[in-house]
Amino acid sequence: MLSFLLFVVGVAGVLSRRNIIIIFMSIELILNAVNLNLIAFSRYLELNKEVLMAKGLAVNPLSGPVFTIFIIVVAAAEAAVGLGIVIAMFRNRETVAIDEIDLLKW
Amino acid sequence: MQLHGWEAALFYVLAIMTLFMAVFVVTARVAVHSALFLISTLVNVALLFILLRAEFVAGVQILVYVGGVMVLFLFVIMLVQTRAEEESRVRLYTGQTWPAVMIALLLAVSFYFAMNPAQAAFRPPDAATTAALVDSSERTSAGAGSTMSKDTQEVGEQLYRQAALPFEIASLLLLVAMVGAVLLARGTKQEKYYE
Repeated sequence: MLSFLLFVVGVAGVLSRRNIIIIFMSIELILNAVNLNLIAFSRYLELNKEVLMAKGLAVNPLSGPVFTIFIIVVAAAEAAVGLGIVIAMFRNRETVAIDEIDLLKW
Repeated sequence: MQLHGWEAALFYVLAIMTLFMAVFVVTARVAVHSALFLISTLVNVALLFILLRAEFVAGVQILVYVGGVMVLFLFVIMLVQTRAEEESRVRLYTGQTWPAVMIALLLAVSFYFAMNPAQAAFRPPDAATTAALVDSSERTSAGAGSTMSKDTQEVGEQLYRQAALPFEIASLLLLVAMVGAVLLARGTKQEKYYE
């Protein structure tokens, strides 16, 4: 539930803000919501491991943290490239407002 | 997710803090304030990770996000001038606020209908297994002090055994991203210098 609310706040930020840096921050919020969900489900699987094993389900509660670490890595890479793009764009256009950056519009 | 006593109270406090900080991230007028609120959100999420007994991920979260990515964000905010936004005549939002609210509501409704059957499936099966479950969960919470470093060890083993290839690919991805960011952020003056 918390993860979902965090996700919705992030989506609202991405869709409605005008400053491109704040849009990047909202994307980080969305990724964090997913991380929180992964960790919570991994904890749930860890607690209910015996029950689920008895029902014949293969359970690996550690894949949650591993996936979370990969998501953090990809988020770091995305932030580096995205901020590089922001700086290049600011050099050319002197603005960070997304509705003034219309290079792809025709 | 059976949390008891002070753990449940701590969870709710942290959850409410996280949500408020996230809303402040989206609504703050000055970009630097937004970044500071985002740091607070990330630290709160790291504390939630510790509450869920994933200490290694919490450490990575604080080191990489709060230490690395947020410093990068602050640098870029200071490099890029956003003074104009502090004056009230400049618009903060694009004209798409209503479509954004509509999409968020749609997401909320769809999540609700998707989560209902899933939550029913996640109930503990029956009384006997539930008793065993509570027993085992009490065992794990009693041994919280000794599992402190076990989690890190297990995650590390998983990373280097089962997930070794994705781990290497992730390192390559980081290298490519670093080179790409340097190339993108390079100015025209430096380009002339290197040519």
